[in-house]
Amino acid sequence: MTDQELIGKIKELNQIKPKKEWVLLTKEQILGKEAERVLFPFSKPVYAGLFLLLFLTGLFETSQAALPGELLYPLKKITEKGRTLFASEEKKPGVNLELANRRLEELVKIAEANQVKKLAPAVNEFKESLSQAAKNLTETQKITDVKIIVQKTQELAKNKEIAERILATKIETEELDNALSKIVSEQIKDLENRTLTEKGEEALTKAKEYFESENYDLALIEILNIVQENQKE
Amino acid sequence: MADQKKLFSQFYDQYIERIYRFVFFKVNSHEIAEDLTSETFTRTWEVFQRQNIKNPSAFLYTTAKNLVIDYYRQKGRMQVISAENASIIDPAQDLEEKMKLDSDIEYIRKALIGLKEDYQNVIIWHYLENLPISEVANLLDRTEENTRVLLHRALQSLKQKISLG
Repeated sequence: MTDQELIGKIKELNQIKPKKEWVLLTKEQILGKEAERVLFPFSKPVYAGLFLLLFLTGLFETSQAALPGELLYPLKKITEKGRTLFASEEKKPGVNLELANRRLEELVKIAEANQVKKLAPAVNEFKESLSQAAKNLTETQKITDVKIIVQKTQELAKNKEIAERILATKIETEELDNALSKIVSEQIKDLENRTLTEKGEEALTKAKEYFESENYDLALIEILNIVQENQKE
Repeated sequence: MADQKKLFSQFYDQYIERIYRFVFFKVNSHEIAEDLTSETFTRTWEVFQRQNIKNPSAFLYTTAKNLVIDYYRQKGRMQVISAENASIIDPAQDLEEKMKLDSDIEYIRKALIGLKEDYQNVIIWHYLENLPISEVANLLDRTEENTRVLLHRALQSLKQKISLG
């Protein structure tokens, strides 16, 4: 090996790097210490309430970007839980599907950043939220807003495709598929008992075909078309 | 204070990987390298707030070097780590490293660990971290000419270690 070849190999040792997460966390810990000292001028009672309010607002806002496995993530879940609790029964399926979508987006972010440690909690969070969304869809007596279900399931399918591509693995959504199957089946039965336009009948035939081939999201789009067509009349 | 923080944050981003690598070569464990690197930056930040650090690079390397010395002194460990010990000390991390680096480079890393401290430092600083001879000379408290001679000897010593296997 010549000197130049050896020097070239030495330079390649710069592949030894600390973990990105550790680099960020350490920086936060070191420079964060100073932030605690800056707080002292606010210790007067007159500022304390205002400061606490600002602090909590900031904390809640910051937590919205947290990912599974991170410190602020439980806070994010609490704020979301609040949303589902206060949502009306009609809106709950849409809200839950949106949350499942968020979990999937988090999973994509984590997979893209190759944050291996957070992968398992993210997959669990997604499974849990999907299960909740499916349960809610099954329990809802009557779906009044098909449009939002269509929109959210389409988003979910798109995100699922991205996540599967990055993770190079299949993501199971059986529970949701079962719930959607039930909804589509009920909607089809309901529409069969109604008088539909020629266009509506065509869409219903298509919806049935999609239902048979287990393409529930596409079947829902057809159902939505029929509902919108009927509303025009 | 905000400006000071911003400036230190820039230093941190610029040097964190270098200091981590420098410490890692000395302790051959990712976990200990993380602890000592973190302590290096914490101490530097404390000084940075009180006084102007003219040469942050030199300050960081010197602090890291002293912390490594303290670490071995406190633990009563031998600072010289043999190439064979390298994989025994931290098998999991070593395996991880092996996956990242090809065997050729891993071989050089182990040979580098076996060099005496001045040889190791001069190679790391000049060839790996691309510090100019003047800065390496400053870090070693030697003349530039003396540093060039040391660098040449260090490289030959490394070559010899590799050829001996």
